[in-house]
Amino acid sequence: MGAELIVIAGKLIVLATLLLTAVPVMVWVERRGAAFIQDRLGPNRVGPWGIIQPIADSVKLLFKEDLTPAGVNRWLYFLAPMISVFIAMLTFIVVPFGDGCGVTILGQPLGSLMVASELEVGVLYLLAISSLGVYGIVLAGWSSNNKYSLLGGLRASAQLISYELSMALAVLGVILATGSLRLDEVVAAQSGKLWNAVPQFLGFVVFVVAAFAETNRLPFDLAEAETELVAGYHVEYSSMKFAAFMMSEYMNMVTVSALLVTLFLGGSTLPGVHLEGWLGLVVSLAVFLGKVAFFMWLFVWVRWSLPRFRYDQLMRLGWKGLLPLATVNLVLVAVGVARGWTWI
Amino acid sequence: MLADILAVLPETALALMGMVVLILGLAKVRNHLAVAVLTLGSLLLAGVLLSHVGRAVDPGEHFMFGMFVLDRFAIYFKALLLACSFLTVLLSIDYLMRHDARPGEYLALVMLATVGMMTMASGVHLAAIYVGLELMALSTYVLAGYFRRQVKSHEAAAKYFVLGALSSGILLYGLSLLYGATGTLELQAIAGRLAQGPPSAAALAGIGLLACGFLFKVAAVPFHMWTPDVYEGAPTPITTFMSVGPKAAAFAIFLRVFDGGLAPVAESWRPLVWGAAALTMVWGNIAALTQDNVKRMLAYSSIAHAGYALVGLVAGGDAGVQSVLLYMLVYTVTNVGAFGLVILLESRGYAGQTVQDFAGLARKQPVAAFGMLLFLLSLGGIPPTAGFMGKLYVFAAAIRSGYVWLVVIAVLMSAVSLYYYLRIVLQMYLRDGEGVEPAPMVSAVWTERALWACAVAVLLIGLWPGPFAAAAAAGLGIMPLP
Amino acid sequence: MTEYIPVFLFTVVALLFPVVTVGIAWLIRAGKHDPVKLEPYECGIEATTFAHDNRFSIRYYLIAVLFVVFDVETVFLYPWAVAYRKLALFGLVEMFIFLAILIVGYIYAWKRKALQWA
Repeated sequence: MGAELIVIAGKLIVLATLLLTAVPVMVWVERRGAAFIQDRLGPNRVGPWGIIQPIADSVKLLFKEDLTPAGVNRWLYFLAPMISVFIAMLTFIVVPFGDGCGVTILGQPLGSLMVASELEVGVLYLLAISSLGVYGIVLAGWSSNNKYSLLGGLRASAQLISYELSMALAVLGVILATGSLRLDEVVAAQSGKLWNAVPQFLGFVVFVVAAFAETNRLPFDLAEAETELVAGYHVEYSSMKFAAFMMSEYMNMVTVSALLVTLFLGGSTLPGVHLEGWLGLVVSLAVFLGKVAFFMWLFVWVRWSLPRFRYDQLMRLGWKGLLPLATVNLVLVAVGVARGWTWI
Repeated sequence: MLADILAVLPETALALMGMVVLILGLAKVRNHLAVAVLTLGSLLLAGVLLSHVGRAVDPGEHFMFGMFVLDRFAIYFKALLLACSFLTVLLSIDYLMRHDARPGEYLALVMLATVGMMTMASGVHLAAIYVGLELMALSTYVLAGYFRRQVKSHEAAAKYFVLGALSSGILLYGLSLLYGATGTLELQAIAGRLAQGPPSAAALAGIGLLACGFLFKVAAVPFHMWTPDVYEGAPTPITTFMSVGPKAAAFAIFLRVFDGGLAPVAESWRPLVWGAAALTMVWGNIAALTQDNVKRMLAYSSIAHAGYALVGLVAGGDAGVQSVLLYMLVYTVTNVGAFGLVILLESRGYAGQTVQDFAGLARKQPVAAFGMLLFLLSLGGIPPTAGFMGKLYVFAAAIRSGYVWLVVIAVLMSAVSLYYYLRIVLQMYLRDGEGVEPAPMVSAVWTERALWACAVAVLLIGLWPGPFAAAAAAGLGIMPLP
Repeated sequence: MTEYIPVFLFTVVALLFPVVTVGIAWLIRAGKHDPVKLEPYECGIEATTFAHDNRFSIRYYLIAVLFVVFDVETVFLYPWAVAYRKLALFGLVEMFIFLAILIVGYIYAWKRKALQWA
């Protein structure tokens, strides 16, 4: 029991570190990336290439005055950013971020590098927790007593629930092909054959598009569309509470990218590579992080390349485009599995 | 497997046709009559399937993992419910055309509500019963508010929905307590558990909540508050439907659950239902006395009739159950007729809503007036109409079981009820209705067909009750107890 | 229940993290309160209405209702997907029936313009 707990705690620390360092790194990548795409310099004063800039930002936010505007619902106003961060962190727990490769610590096998590695209901847990994320946004928008935030919160909630459907249906195709709700088994099932992204290309596309919508990123950032809603649901937030929303947004990006990699791109595996021991562990971790990094970059790339959707277009895409596509994907996979096609 | 599919064939067919009607209602080319006729055809088809399937399957067998039976009791109620829906659709056709309303959703919802009611009639598993109940209830909520531009209709739907949801919640609490106390949802197994010893407190609480939920669904006092408002506000064909179909279905599960699964603890719930029956008859009839709006008056009258039917439930035993079955049939044809005439008068330009609107009807529309007279007499329980036979069987069963006081109350209240029924008769035959011009005739052929059918049935059951009583008697043997 | 231990552990961490960071900020924050500063952020002119007094489109509600319908559908499909290989042909047929019913509802919602924004 003791060794088991130590292993769990170890995984937990690694995971929390990854997640929390990812946020400032992503902020920096985003700002430098934006500058690169727009052919300007970006932050370059604090540290080499401005790499300390996010740290400086967070110190600044820490010292900022924490406003609670008149007429807000204090309790919910306080609760909303907490919920956002809390939920954003919780979702990551079932993602296998590496392969244990038979390594044992204190006689305890690592298994796959996943905190809740024994949880049988991984994907269900994920869907349940991630669908709670909308509460943070809705409560923030509602409690702020501001028209912009109310509109932003409403839009965000409608958008999130619309795309959640397509996302869940796309995941369903993967579950169907795997026959298990555990994400490490999803990874294992992909190791001997094509990654799910190939046979379930439709589902993959749906998931990628829904991932952008679920994280409120351009081209789907209607909830905080600067040009019309100023900043949307968090317009009245300042100081660390504002930072909490920012953190949760970037954490959600990490989670969604990690899920994309896990569900559709073979997780921490590379085709043809089978290493054992500590080397294998480090390589698998690196492979996973590399794949995630690619999608994180994709988020930045898309953000500074595509214009924003109109709200009716957003809803049309979600309900009339992705939902039928995801259903078609599901039916195709179901038929394929029934026919006994092993490559699915 | 095959037998399972066969057993639910009527419901399946009806649900499928409901979807077809729903989609057809969206078509650009609007042929409302064709959609309505298709609905009537589907209901007939379900009836034909029911009669064939009913002969083909074993009435004692449980289908769909012990959820569903197709015994004589279920078949009797299903036939009755299909008839209710058929008459409702007949009444609705002219009404919908007159209001230029989309028929697709309306008719589809009636069909889906019918599927729900039929499932209730067949359910021997609390989950199946509850699912059927909700399908029926949800469809009816929407139907009550179908003309959403009318404030009254809107109000009716909102009230019905809020109170209906509350009662469903109460019912569900009762079901879960009962489940907790007995560890099973199957009625037969519940009866087995309850027969083993005195019921636990949880079981008693569950039974109490269950009774409250069912009493709400049959609109018995003290859970009747929603009825007058909803019946007044809802579109009149839907009022008709609500006053017969869901009520009959609710009595079906009331009988199945209380006289079936909960029969071993009958002594614990019988006083409760006894009190509800007495209160319902007294309050329903007394409150009806003061109503000037005919729809509200008929609403209170239908509350009172639920009370009479509850008397049969209290009486219990073969005779009691048989009397409830017969009473539901009688009440259905009579009430559809009475409400149908209100619709017909509305369609003929009379307001048809207040009692005064009926003044001088006998002079202007003698046939309609005579029809109304017939239905009112039947509601009041005067021979030679069906209402008399219905009450006769109920009261006889109650006296045989020794509930003399209940029958005394029932008879007294029947006498009271004559007062308000005869108020309309008085207006029709003895007031000349000066100042009210006869409105131009509006074509309402479908409504009239439904009314003729009801009138014939009322007289037929009143004069020759033998076959109908026999059909009701065949529905006995609710649950062969272990 | 042991498989939920990491979940509980991480829940505690995830709960503490925002509380601690906001708590630190609360301890060391600058504070110069001013009633004008606390006004809702709008356009510089004093706001005449509260945000909650305003109406918003009923379509948000419609979307929410549709979401409930389709989300429950999806949730029903999950156990089916896990058990699919054991159910064999029966599972396939069952799912097609289930999906067909939902697709009828979907077509209905589409045709009645419930999926259309404005």
